[in-house]
Amino acid sequence: MPIARLSLLALAPALALLAAPAAHADGNVRCNAGPQDKWKPLKQVHKQAFLEGWTVQKAQVEGDCYEVYARTESGQAIEAFFHPVTLQKLIVYRRGREIFRAPGFKPEG
Amino acid sequence: MCPVISPVMRPVIRKAGRSLLWLLLAVPAALMLAGLMRGTTPAMDLLHPSGELSVRLMLLALLPGPLAEFFGANRFLRGWLAIRRNLGVAAFAYAMLHLAFYVVDMGALAPMVDEFALPPIWTGWLALALMVPPAAVSFDAAMRALGRRWKALQRLVYAAFALGLVHWLLLDWHWQPAAVHLAPLVIAWALRRHSRGRGRNLARSTT
Repeated sequence: MPIARLSLLALAPALALLAAPAAHADGNVRCNAGPQDKWKPLKQVHKQAFLEGWTVQKAQVEGDCYEVYARTESGQAIEAFFHPVTLQKLIVYRRGREIFRAPGFKPEG
Repeated sequence: MCPVISPVMRPVIRKAGRSLLWLLLAVPAALMLAGLMRGTTPAMDLLHPSGELSVRLMLLALLPGPLAEFFGANRFLRGWLAIRRNLGVAAFAYAMLHLAFYVVDMGALAPMVDEFALPPIWTGWLALALMVPPAAVSFDAAMRALGRRWKALQRLVYAAFALGLVHWLLLDWHWQPAAVHLAPLVIAWALRRHSRGRGRNLARSTT
């Protein structure tokens, strides 16, 4: 069956990708932010994103992090995690792939 | 249990059932679009539900075949098989809706082109492209015209399904959803393989 074989052929590169270096599940980032009453208001993370030159689509609390969905100046869709107390940019993903990590930051906590 | 239905009424009932099925299949799309139009749900939040529903409908379209081969075509599986094509077309429709939400979310062509080459993105495009031929020939006349080749063409859905899962996995990096959606199919395949092996052995032993 040529089409069945073709389907398998189409799958091969995709499956090979699974063997590629694994990224980190962005839903599991830990910021070690401590108690919430010490956190800066979420509004301030908008300002941080603005300073990066990003356009914010959505900013929210994710676990113990501030998470921002934004567009960079060149239009790239990104997802960034900020520390809720220091407002430091900790890690940035683009379509599931890590593109930035603050020196010394461990997303696993 | 089964009431006596006059043969004249049967196609009418079948048609009504099909309309009801499509109404049911359209409900999630209507809710998603209503959220988008009212501005309560941004397009980016609709990407996950629409894509996930497409994968689930594909799975529902892929399951009854191998299951019917293993269990034999009982009434339940016959009914499921009878709506399989509808489920497949609905899966394609939700994949197109998923694309529409993506386009709305991106807002421009340039950033879409820019990220096209990223594995999590092109796997999604390819999965959708692979769904086009099977969906395009999902009507009776095409089925008759293509004969045996029709079934071969439908096998592209397997590739689309797998690529869809890879697309999802590369974006989310959560293994559980991919595993949960793949497992039923793997089990159904294993059952089919088992029943085919049984059939072959039987054939061999009788010749």
